[in-house]
Amino acid sequence: MSESKIVIPGELLSDKPERISYAFIDNGKTYSTVVGLYSEGKLVPLEGPYEPLPDDLIVGIISEVKFSGYSIDINTAYPAFLSSREIRERYNMGDTIFARITMIDEVRSTEIGDAKKLAAGRLVKVSSVKIPRIIGKKNSMIDMLQSATGCEISAGRNGYVWIAGTGNATLAEKAIRMIEAQAHTHGLTDRVSQYLKANKQ
Amino acid sequence: MGGNAANKPKLLVNGKRVDGRNVDDIRNVKIVARVLNDADGSAYIEWGKNKILAGVYGPSECIPRHDQSLYRGIIKCRYNMAPFSGAEEHGRSGPNRRSKELSKVIREAFENVIISENFPKTQIEIYVEILQSDGGTRCAAVTAAAVALADAGIPMKDMINAVAVCKIDGKMAVDPGKEEDNFGDSDMPIAYSPRTGEILLYQMDGLLTREELAEGLKLAKDASEKIRKIQIEAIQKVYEEPKEERFLLIK
Repeated sequence: MSESKIVIPGELLSDKPERISYAFIDNGKTYSTVVGLYSEGKLVPLEGPYEPLPDDLIVGIISEVKFSGYSIDINTAYPAFLSSREIRERYNMGDTIFARITMIDEVRSTEIGDAKKLAAGRLVKVSSVKIPRIIGKKNSMIDMLQSATGCEISAGRNGYVWIAGTGNATLAEKAIRMIEAQAHTHGLTDRVSQYLKANKQ
Repeated sequence: MGGNAANKPKLLVNGKRVDGRNVDDIRNVKIVARVLNDADGSAYIEWGKNKILAGVYGPSECIPRHDQSLYRGIIKCRYNMAPFSGAEEHGRSGPNRRSKELSKVIREAFENVIISENFPKTQIEIYVEILQSDGGTRCAAVTAAAVALADAGIPMKDMINAVAVCKIDGKMAVDPGKEEDNFGDSDMPIAYSPRTGEILLYQMDGLLTREELAEGLKLAKDASEKIRKIQIEAIQKVYEEPKEERFLLIK
């Protein structure tokens, strides 16, 4: 892994116009728009609001029961809509679901489907850009968290993490907070593994 | 400006200013990013004796809805001076003529750099609280708010900052303190976009000749470069020493 560099908004990334996400082109040059880690033409933001994309798997909270479906809080400025036609079960206000974003348009009207109600548990809100780190490569981090704490953890791409089951949820939450704070550092999996071992009772 | 001419102190003695600075020196600037737990982005700045807290919330659903735009996010700014913030009485807190003006100019400076087209129908709120003031609060507020916005991860074309220049005893100087502001001949706050050199905030009080103006702009630009370095350090420090809890420490 090459050394990546922390860039700030307005920092020059390339003298050529390049297509880089979270960057913009001005006068034939490419600049960063966010605080992020930059290496080899790839810019990963370190902070930022959740930008929903189709097929994202998200954790949502039912915020309103409507005539033909549900209005759902998915950690964006725009509530998502889940049609009653998409589902066979009924929800109440405050229920938590795991679902997939099916449609999003240019004014960010969002529709979701494939919903599944989550069992009783606790919600941890983290920054959405840290979720890939909480899941890990091929689910390595989340698998480790689940086996060490005995909890069922659902990490939504939107930054909501649901911890259910009878395991040590407090330990799981603390480990997730640790991952969030140190997401940009190397060797995190080993440190989390040690932390889980040291605090396991 | 605005001070009583009768008790005007000597502002420039042998090229040194009342607090011992040269004409091109800025006061000590210290910025700490990410200090508030509940804000999406925040920063605390100590600029000389100024102490300012900036918090950024959003993008969130724009309320009231008639303010919404389908094409871009709306930026809102509230500059507020605490009633205990100054050497003189500031009266009751809350919006007044002065704070409304400053809220407006700070908001307009940021409307130029925030890429709000990414967030239609939303609002981005910038709150700036002046806890202690000593001249140049609007410049310090812009500087702190820019760090808070970057900390919130809101896409911007540049991280801006601002600095004032003044004319004291017939000579141009950068970053006036309270006395220089009150008794100087002219005061001119400027916000720069360091990437392009564009001016995003420009106000002037008093009179300047063309030559003085040109000299003032150059002084401000040099000072702006120094402040930009401090802003960048503040942001990098958040990630060099990661903390799980955010907290604010004021000595």
